[in-house]
Amino acid sequence: MQVTLGCLRNAYNMVLQKFGEKLYSGLVTTMTSHLRQISQSIESAQGEIFLEELNRKWVEHNKALLMIRDILMYMDRTFVPSSRKTPVHELGLNLWRDVVIHSNKTQSRLLDTLIDLVLKERNGEVINRGLMRNLIKMLMDLGLSVYQNDFEKHFIEVSKDFYCCESQKFIESCNCGDYLKKAERRLNEEMERVSHYLDPSSESKIIKVVETEMIENHMHTLVHMENSGLVSMFVDDKYEDLERIYNLFRRVPSGLTIVKDVMTSFIRDTGKQLIMDPERLKDPVDFVQRLLDLKDKYDKAITLAFNNDKTFQNALNSAFEYFINLNARSPEFISLFVDDKLRRGLKGVGEEDVEIVLDKVMMLFRYLQEKDMFEKYYKQHLAKRLLSGKTVSDEAERSLIVKLKTECGYQFTSKLEGMFTDMKTSYDMMQGFLACHGAELGDSPTLSVQVLTTGSWPTQSSPQCNLPSEILGVCEKFRSYYLGAHSGRRLSWQANMGNADLKATFGKGQKHELNVSTYQMCVLMLFNNADRLSCKEIEQATAIPMPDLKRCLQSLALVKGKNVLRKEPMSKDIAEDDAFFFNDKFTSKLFKVKIGTVVAQRESEPENIETRQRVEEDRKPQIEAAIVRVMKSRKILEHNNIIAEVTKQLQARFLPNPVVIKKRIESLIEREFLERDKVDRKMYRYLA
Amino acid sequence: MRRGSSKKSGQSNPSVNSSAADLFRSASSKANSKELERIDSLFYTYANGSSGLIDPEGIEALCADIEVDHTDLRILMLAWKMKAEEQGYFTLDEWRRGLKALRADTVSKLKKALPDLEKEVRRPSNFSDFYSYAFQYCLTEEKQKSIDIESICELLTLVLGSTFPTQVNLFVEYLKNQNDYKVVNMDQWMGFFRFCNEISFPSLSDYDPELAWPLVLDNFVEWLREKQK
Repeated sequence: MQVTLGCLRNAYNMVLQKFGEKLYSGLVTTMTSHLRQISQSIESAQGEIFLEELNRKWVEHNKALLMIRDILMYMDRTFVPSSRKTPVHELGLNLWRDVVIHSNKTQSRLLDTLIDLVLKERNGEVINRGLMRNLIKMLMDLGLSVYQNDFEKHFIEVSKDFYCCESQKFIESCNCGDYLKKAERRLNEEMERVSHYLDPSSESKIIKVVETEMIENHMHTLVHMENSGLVSMFVDDKYEDLERIYNLFRRVPSGLTIVKDVMTSFIRDTGKQLIMDPERLKDPVDFVQRLLDLKDKYDKAITLAFNNDKTFQNALNSAFEYFINLNARSPEFISLFVDDKLRRGLKGVGEEDVEIVLDKVMMLFRYLQEKDMFEKYYKQHLAKRLLSGKTVSDEAERSLIVKLKTECGYQFTSKLEGMFTDMKTSYDMMQGFLACHGAELGDSPTLSVQVLTTGSWPTQSSPQCNLPSEILGVCEKFRSYYLGAHSGRRLSWQANMGNADLKATFGKGQKHELNVSTYQMCVLMLFNNADRLSCKEIEQATAIPMPDLKRCLQSLALVKGKNVLRKEPMSKDIAEDDAFFFNDKFTSKLFKVKIGTVVAQRESEPENIETRQRVEEDRKPQIEAAIVRVMKSRKILEHNNIIAEVTKQLQARFLPNPVVIKKRIESLIEREFLERDKVDRKMYRYLA
Repeated sequence: MRRGSSKKSGQSNPSVNSSAADLFRSASSKANSKELERIDSLFYTYANGSSGLIDPEGIEALCADIEVDHTDLRILMLAWKMKAEEQGYFTLDEWRRGLKALRADTVSKLKKALPDLEKEVRRPSNFSDFYSYAFQYCLTEEKQKSIDIESICELLTLVLGSTFPTQVNLFVEYLKNQNDYKVVNMDQWMGFFRFCNEISFPSLSDYDPELAWPLVLDNFVEWLREKQK
């Protein structure tokens, strides 16, 4: 259309002279018929020309519309609003839509062609993106509803089917890792597609389709896929795959929940297997190391692949807490692990690395429900370390105590600290003793005494045994020295906790230095004055209790490489009539032979049972104290609430058994601290 | 009210001779005080001269007279009515309390009062109190708080055997077979009574061990359930 000044003036005049209606309807008619022609020509376009033709005509139409609008501007501003007609430009677009785009043939053909191109592109073909972009823009220009109804709606439907099929195909043919890679690729593709030639409003919709079809609908299959699913990713440390699964699954509802649940139950099972394996339980240090390794493995996975996600951290922690407490000996084993580290494992290790190991130990400690069991063992093991002088680093010991104090409070560690204090005090005491009496001691055996405060150290009442005469003198000197400085105190020698170094000369003159326990020393010294002694005679001479004596004689006569005594008969067991001889034929490659065992060891079954019983006994008053505390403040409380409150109060130390709590309540009722409420039998009442 | 009382043969009555009795009868004192005096005199027929109390022997004699076995539950009920404190003994005050309440001043009246007494005790409002009294009555030592299993079983059978025979028999069987408890205390004793009243038997469906039932009953129920399998 050619614009001339004449047209403008004519148009202007027409409106002025109230011919606006005629002008407007004329516009409509003219444009409509013109567009009909165009529509026909588009419809008749063959094959690929169709889109190009459509595009070209559209561009022309737009140009024309601009001109027409300019020409009819006066009408657009005056007549159109007052008669509530559609403005010119909009009219032009609507007519294009109705006549061209929505012509029967064109409407469906346009849609099919566009969809077809998308599918081609998805299959790897290169398409004319510019053309696509223009036509999509055209639909948008015609109105969001046109875009949505004429294209987007169907696009989404078709995509759904496409991805449904594709995901099915891939699931059957790919392993999990590869499938996820493909899914990720498709997601990226679709985003890129949208950015290039679709309207941005479609992005979230198409992404949702891919997420649903490719991920959400196959979540369980993927996660549980044999040999390539989540579990094998963990087993083989496939961090890249894990990261991908995390990033993909977090897009869909419950995606991460499934990952987390599968992870949790796998960790629980792995842990449980570890705990129940009798082979693993034979070596406590190795057992704990495996626990730490397991934790490290999953910590790494969560850090590297799961974005340090807190819910996963929590799941890991609760899984560990679950299976560690399945093994009633975990507290003992963790203490043995610490003992091993502090006795030799941390030798030569730098300060920072020591802290790392201790922090890991604390982490395991936190998982324990029976912290009071750990305390008991830790105390025993610490005592042995201190008394045998076998600790790698004083700082490391103290550092751990500080960590325990921070975690559990002063009461937990006050006795432990007392043990350290005793060691220091004893050292000073010995210095004083030697300074004072050093000269007179001369040839006497060298004595080194540690004075232990009863109550701080793990109690094992030690009946007195007869110390050899050779050392009685110096022992007495020390006793009087000490009591001179601290009158009013009582000292008793703990014969089951000491050790001694003996110089022994054997048959052919070979000399050895024997490191033995106090009991062993008492036994061996007897052989300076006798060639042959029966077990019974030794018992009478030393006053060592028979069970301990038997163990002692076993360690002196029946252990290869350490048999400084000889037994007749040569049987494995010790009978009271058995005869013992000094073994002149003893040989050893080492000059110093260590026979005493003061080192912490895994308890035997009966010892374990005994320790547990003692701990259970200790717990009874603690439970009662907690019950009384709770009832004192609440005055009247229902049974279930008491159980809950008491459990909460005690959980820092151990998890009380509700049945035991009930029993304690009944004991308190009998002793008239509490009574049952007369009206409501579920309630208990505090009796002041 | 019938005046006069004929003494039953076989009673020894050393401290009151017939002339004194006539004197009392003829005097116009209040019926009440006469009743009280008869009650007192009845007391002294059974009481031990030196202790001034009716002792186990006296009780046995009383039982013979009212024709009730001394292990019968009704004697316990009588003791309850008297609020007797010590098992096997009745004091004068207790005797007075009991017989006055029963309006019995002779042996035959006492005997006749027994069925009503039983009815009174078995009334739900009273039975709980009687039940707990039965336990306390059996505590013989000063600081004693619990009763041995053997005695508990007997007491339980006596007191509850007719009301809840099944539960009592089973509980007794359980107590005799278990090793956890050598004695039973008041709390557990009362707990069993509640149990019989509140828990449906033999289904035990409404028993919840997580509630405040005494532990011994938790164990009993577990034992029962094992048995039922």
